[in-house]
Amino acid sequence: MPDSISRREVLQALGAGAFLFAGAPVRIHPADDGTFTIYTGKVELGQGARTELTQAVAEELRVPVGRVRLVMGDTGLCPDDGGTYSSLTTPLNVPAIRQEAADYRGGALTPPSDWKIMGTPVANVRGHDIVTGAYQYPSDLHVDDMLHARVIRAPYYRASLLSVDGPAVREGDLIAALAPDPVSAARLAGNIQTQWKPEPFPVDPSDHEALAAWFKAHSTPPVEQPGARYPPLTRRGDAAKALAAADHKRSSRFWLPYIAHTPMEPRAAIASWKDGAVEIHSGTQTPFPTRAEIAKALDLPESKVRVMAGNPGGAFGGKHRAECEIEAARLARTAGKPVKVAWTREEEFTCSYHRPAGLVEIESSLGANGKLDAWVHRNYNSGAPALPTPYDTPNISCEFHRTPAPVRQGPYRSLAAVGNIFARESHIDDWAAATKTDPWEFRMNNLADARLRAVLEKLGKGSGGMACTIEKDARIALRAEVGIEGGAIRLKRFVFVGEYGAIVNPLNLRNQITGALIMGIGGALFEEVRFDLTTQRTRSLADYRVPRFTDIPEIEVHLIDRRDIPSAGAGESAITMTAPAIANAVFAATGQRFTSLPFRLDMHKG
Amino acid sequence: MKLNVNGRTLAAQAPEETTLLAFLRDFLHLTGTKYGCGEGGCGACTVLIDGHETRSCLVKAAAVANKRITTIEGLADGGHLHPIQQAFLDVEAFQCGFCTPGMILASAALLAGNKTPTSAQVHDHLQGHICRCGTYPRIVEAVLLASSFKSGTAPHA
Repeated sequence: MPDSISRREVLQALGAGAFLFAGAPVRIHPADDGTFTIYTGKVELGQGARTELTQAVAEELRVPVGRVRLVMGDTGLCPDDGGTYSSLTTPLNVPAIRQEAADYRGGALTPPSDWKIMGTPVANVRGHDIVTGAYQYPSDLHVDDMLHARVIRAPYYRASLLSVDGPAVREGDLIAALAPDPVSAARLAGNIQTQWKPEPFPVDPSDHEALAAWFKAHSTPPVEQPGARYPPLTRRGDAAKALAAADHKRSSRFWLPYIAHTPMEPRAAIASWKDGAVEIHSGTQTPFPTRAEIAKALDLPESKVRVMAGNPGGAFGGKHRAECEIEAARLARTAGKPVKVAWTREEEFTCSYHRPAGLVEIESSLGANGKLDAWVHRNYNSGAPALPTPYDTPNISCEFHRTPAPVRQGPYRSLAAVGNIFARESHIDDWAAATKTDPWEFRMNNLADARLRAVLEKLGKGSGGMACTIEKDARIALRAEVGIEGGAIRLKRFVFVGEYGAIVNPLNLRNQITGALIMGIGGALFEEVRFDLTTQRTRSLADYRVPRFTDIPEIEVHLIDRRDIPSAGAGESAITMTAPAIANAVFAATGQRFTSLPFRLDMHKG
Repeated sequence: MKLNVNGRTLAAQAPEETTLLAFLRDFLHLTGTKYGCGEGGCGACTVLIDGHETRSCLVKAAAVANKRITTIEGLADGGHLHPIQQAFLDVEAFQCGFCTPGMILASAALLAGNKTPTSAQVHDHLQGHICRCGTYPRIVEAVLLASSFKSGTAPHA
């Protein structure tokens, strides 16, 4: 085990007693020195899970934060707490682990009004390691006798191998150079010649109109799935009938391109085999599903696979699947030695999955009282999150039409909520303009949810553009002020208001909100993965602009702390506000309505 | 190959094309310096060479054999954090922390040449550094805070 901290923690825990009770991992391990080691299958990604869960345990065990340490993401030691996604740690795992800690103490759960450690700005418990370079990420790990792999990739997005020549290690369709250090592996890889036959895309993924038509032609209408986390179909009243009968209607259409997560740390994994079992270090967000994927790929029972997931340098939904993990495991089995596969930035761009492209169509109608009467929202391919409208509308049909996808696609921070809310809030803004109503007033006139109304009251009426929503149980709103300078959009000021129930850690919450708003700037203004018929053309940071220091506006974050309401997850949702608030601000300033991400300013209007 | 890293002479056998970044990480096992892109486009691999901010992915290790190299592991003075490290900690100017070593070293280089930078100067100086978690406002805040430490307003720095 190369991570010295894990090793120390594990040895201490071993000294403290057995790991398993009746075959199940035990959560709380006391040590003689008064410290507690807590085992959780969650993973720290930079979202603050380690510190929040530490707070939860410390609160209920009645000990200082410094006496609680977490071992996270190790399938060999930790309970399966579900994957680290969908902002679920705060609403699901914090309450569950608090309860376990309260049970351990033998007392009742501490009510939020009595919190002493939760609800306070506890600093990141590993902050000192982060600022001194001691914090280890998957790509930093090392095991004895390890070989470094450089995988040989096809020059095309999809291709079949025709021939291979040179000093290659081959395991089926996986070809790599292996050497004791990555520099020698790269040199060896340069001496391997391969020939590939490209398998073209069925449609050019960069041709928006062609891909939108392809999605529609290949889509399947949704059916209701009661109880689904992201229902693909939500109906109320009769939207089609109400639309047909309406006098005052509008329809709009929005396009979302493929975008890349671009975490600071490209994926990395180390696989080590012993006695027919494999141990894997990686930065996966989902240690248990990743274990299942690896077991399936290698034809092993899950009991022969241990995944030690930890500390990826950013993930944002991009590190859900076993990719470099399976490559490392296959190569290590062939080599008979531990193998590290650390993707280059180019591999991170071209071998990972992307946030899905998608088409969103909205048709709606307004009654004479200025209230929405019918709402039909159809999302093709990009996803169901945030489909149901928060606006008080008697007739709705919110639909996710699944389609096959020509490009590998998967989760992303808030996934389709970004596109669905961009479309909805743009469409709402058009209604406000069409009815010559202030956008804030139009929304207040159509919102019944008291918590969201309270957020809008705090945001207040103002200039620029705004957006609001209910997302992952939080109520959030953003006002953006922009300028048009030299034919470009310049962001001047963001004012954000959020209500996330009882705030667990305001220091971390503000960091997550600000970060998500800023990540949203990339999708709004810059980001799109480009292709041609056989190849992904976006291959490096030089091809792919992400937000940088001088892109960032002045940002104010206002929070409403509701100790009487269960805490909502907050790592993702603020990203959904950025694009519509900017789009609506540009519309207010220029009259140009953006219907496609990223925004391209029409020079005639700028 | 021998390099002067953080005040010590460290040696390892490495191929001639080895970059300073790879030499530090894969031969000396000083992994605080990060690989982000390998083309000088993200700033994660930033180190100081004779005090100058440098992208370690763009220089060959052999080319800096006679220089003083400072990495994140060598910035603290014994157990005493450098003011910019302390400031990053004080305002929690990180999320995943992967860009932090590069941000801290670049900020240290800025403050060495300009003890009281303006907010705009901090933005411009760090423009080549990416933080995908979007911690930019707090990073600027940390650099400005550290500059106040240096003028003697923060006793713990």
